[in-house]
Amino acid sequence: MSTPLSIKHIDSAQLEGLVAALVGAGTTVIAPARRGDARDTVGYRAVRTMAEVVLDQRPDNALKAFFLPPTDPLLHYERKGKDVTLTEVDPQIAPRVVLGALPCDVAGLPIVDRVMNWDYRDEPWFGRRDATTVIALACDKADDACFCSGVGLAPDSPQGADLLLIPTPAGFAVEVHSDKGVAFVAQHAAFFADARDATEVQAFRQRIAGLLPHAEGLDPDAARTWIEAHFMDPHWAQLALACHGCGACTMVCPTCHCFDIVDEQEGVTKGTRRRNQDYCQYGLFTLHGAGHNPRGDQGARIRQRVSHKFAIYPDRFGAILCTGCGRCSRSCAAGIDMFEVVERIAGLQATLDEEAPTGGEL
Amino acid sequence: MKPLQDLARQLLEAGDVKVVIGYQDGRRGVQPAFITDPAQAERLIFDHRCVHNLATYVSPRRGHVKRLGRAAVMLKGCDARAVAGLLRESQISRDDVVLIGVRCGGVHDTPDVSGPLTAETVAPRCHGCTVREPSLPDHLVGELPPAPPVGRDLDADVARLMAMPAAERLAFWTRELDKCVRCYACRQVCPLCVCERCIVDKTQPRWIEPSAHARGNLAWHLTRAQHLAGRCSGCSECERACPEGIPVHLFNHFLAGVVRDAFDHVVSDDPEVPAPVGAFRKDDAEEFIV
Amino acid sequence: MNLYQPHLMRVTERIAETSDTVTLRLAFQDPSVAESFAFQAGQFAEYSVFGEGECTFCIASAPTRLPLIECSFKTVGKVTKALSRLDVGDTVGFRGPYGNHFPVDDWKGKNLVFIAGGIGLAPVRCVIDNCLDRRDEFGDVTIVYGARSVGDLVYVRELEAWAARADVRLVKTVDPGGETQDWDGEVGFVPTVLSDAAPGSDNAVAVVCGPPIMIKFTVPVLDTLGFSPDQVFTTLENRMKCGLGKCGRCNIGRVYVCKDGPVFTATALAELPPDM
Repeated sequence: MSTPLSIKHIDSAQLEGLVAALVGAGTTVIAPARRGDARDTVGYRAVRTMAEVVLDQRPDNALKAFFLPPTDPLLHYERKGKDVTLTEVDPQIAPRVVLGALPCDVAGLPIVDRVMNWDYRDEPWFGRRDATTVIALACDKADDACFCSGVGLAPDSPQGADLLLIPTPAGFAVEVHSDKGVAFVAQHAAFFADARDATEVQAFRQRIAGLLPHAEGLDPDAARTWIEAHFMDPHWAQLALACHGCGACTMVCPTCHCFDIVDEQEGVTKGTRRRNQDYCQYGLFTLHGAGHNPRGDQGARIRQRVSHKFAIYPDRFGAILCTGCGRCSRSCAAGIDMFEVVERIAGLQATLDEEAPTGGEL
Repeated sequence: MKPLQDLARQLLEAGDVKVVIGYQDGRRGVQPAFITDPAQAERLIFDHRCVHNLATYVSPRRGHVKRLGRAAVMLKGCDARAVAGLLRESQISRDDVVLIGVRCGGVHDTPDVSGPLTAETVAPRCHGCTVREPSLPDHLVGELPPAPPVGRDLDADVARLMAMPAAERLAFWTRELDKCVRCYACRQVCPLCVCERCIVDKTQPRWIEPSAHARGNLAWHLTRAQHLAGRCSGCSECERACPEGIPVHLFNHFLAGVVRDAFDHVVSDDPEVPAPVGAFRKDDAEEFIV
Repeated sequence: MNLYQPHLMRVTERIAETSDTVTLRLAFQDPSVAESFAFQAGQFAEYSVFGEGECTFCIASAPTRLPLIECSFKTVGKVTKALSRLDVGDTVGFRGPYGNHFPVDDWKGKNLVFIAGGIGLAPVRCVIDNCLDRRDEFGDVTIVYGARSVGDLVYVRELEAWAARADVRLVKTVDPGGETQDWDGEVGFVPTVLSDAAPGSDNAVAVVCGPPIMIKFTVPVLDTLGFSPDQVFTTLENRMKCGLGKCGRCNIGRVYVCKDGPVFTATALAELPPDM
């Protein structure tokens, strides 16, 4: 757990005032709120007042959509005879504040930063990242799908957060975890008070300490070892039997970031080149123009997803491409449970380790 | 439970089938089960949490399930309608599958709710169910439980929407489809979505825009509903599968009503009963031509 | 703009290589880009027809012949068909260069063996011309090229130019049954013809590209001829979109074809999981 740069406090009245001030100044505030849809779901959306914000329920949708939208214009083109003119999509991302986000959603952002910065800087992604101040809310809403503490995070992880709110009896302690956070607090100093007694925060931390008993023993390193040595294992085909190949898991995932680039006409001569979320679970994802598909069956596709998250990304970028948020498990119509998947694979490796002890142990 | 497990064990031991597709207990509720080893047959269960329509696993699209060999699949009455659809359209042949029907008293809307059914938890697909004892399957297991409590009613949902002025209804669907991220979970779970290359995946020409904006989303959902008209078995798995909670099944339910009114047809669990699309009757209504 | 913005190119020539393979010669519309653009043999780019989409091909022309850019492709889908319908003067988008390259500088003083089949000659041709433009830096140059039939041979003009050179040994072949009456080359599959041609492996490197089945049977021939896996280079293709490592599509296990490739030694190839 990284040490905060400083600690402040904010109560409900101050928080209300802060949101009002931000909205009044033209800053978009994104927070969990009721979406007014048929199922009356709670999800991340732009809010106008603190009254709209719902902090006691897990938001259904992924925060990711605000950084990697399901469809994102990259550039506009216009054809005139044999010529083409390109115009850039308005790059101005108005300043935004994400308020009350789940730590498991927020932690995914710096994880994905690593690939988005790999030799080529992805401006559409970082434009949004740079324009956004992230205020996470330490979480006491874990259910049995969650396993953040099994992948090196925690319900109160500050990873990716500029500010981390921790509930206290009088409001929230505010841990400042980045320079952006420092600047934000300074800019809005009127709404922040001095830190209160540290025991209040400790009380919350104690309350959430035992919330994920099943996740504590997860061994993602063992899972990675097994994955790297078992590309052709029948286990993958077995895992894929129930899978519908629907990609819901990838859509709701905070760290799945894969995409497609398509041209869409708007009229006869004009159009937009767009980046659309697109994922490895689809049959067409790796289909060659000539008809060959290296991942032609669901076993190969599930293998790709699990190994990308727990072996390939850690290998290439030094981080597990998973925050243990559990959304994939909750959204899976076939009841595939990611925690169970990783636990079973880690267990397979543990069995191998038992069967073949190193010479030194005997 | 025991008759079901015994039947599964017998089928596997006799070599009649290579896999029994049913339900099992998972860490967080019921999951589909794929039993290939007779000794594992004791994992099979059936209770109010078994909402999944397992018919989708015998669809020809499921290459990796097909590879296991001849399958036996557990079906509630509503699920049997979907298999009837696959048989009707010659997507599978009767010899390909062994059908294990289960007498059903309704299911919860999600597979992780324990305890008895209530009006709030019962799945909308159970409303007005007439197939609690499915007739299509080869085998029938289980005692007939009492009828499910009366819960959410899709007819009422559709009626409520149709009672709205058009502008309000459009606003409703715009708000819902704004959430659509084009994951195609609705299509993937559907037992009757069997096209080897779905229209939305075709690129020459591009019939439906793949991008997740309002225009593309509306085109996708209306086209899918259109392609399922007269074929959709009403299982509502599409709605359950949607990670954004969009009530996509209402499109299908609405069109089922249109088909009923125009062709006097409801989707049947008898594969011999022809569907309006794909069957010609001399007394078919032709107001749109004449 | 952003990293997905392509350069605009003008089609200067369209060559129908075979019934379903086209080469486009392209020039940068922006003279300052034409002047500053650089790449190395083996790199690829994303070519686009605005309104249809983007497509990945190697840069088929040699870097020594800039500012010319050439691409060659088989018409198999939406974007390739649109590209094949283009004519002189039309605009093409070009994003690149991406990927790694053939380590041509490491090959100085060595004998070079180029083996290709069908459209697989396209990525090899850029490095062939690159080396021929620097001919005196290298030893013997052997080219073995074959296709299913005479009608499937690509780069016919280049084949003639290479055949005419005294400092190049060109062995061209067609599959049995693919020859015409006036065919003056070999008849036989590329691996067999290579085995008969038996280029020496001492102080040599081999570059192989072609359909998977050809590569499968060629690699053992090279092994028999004494080439170690480190001496053998190939270039892979995979379904790509962004070309720069972010879209998550082209990886084979931990290897991203667009970043760690597309050029691989046979050693690296052998370590790849069978996700191909």
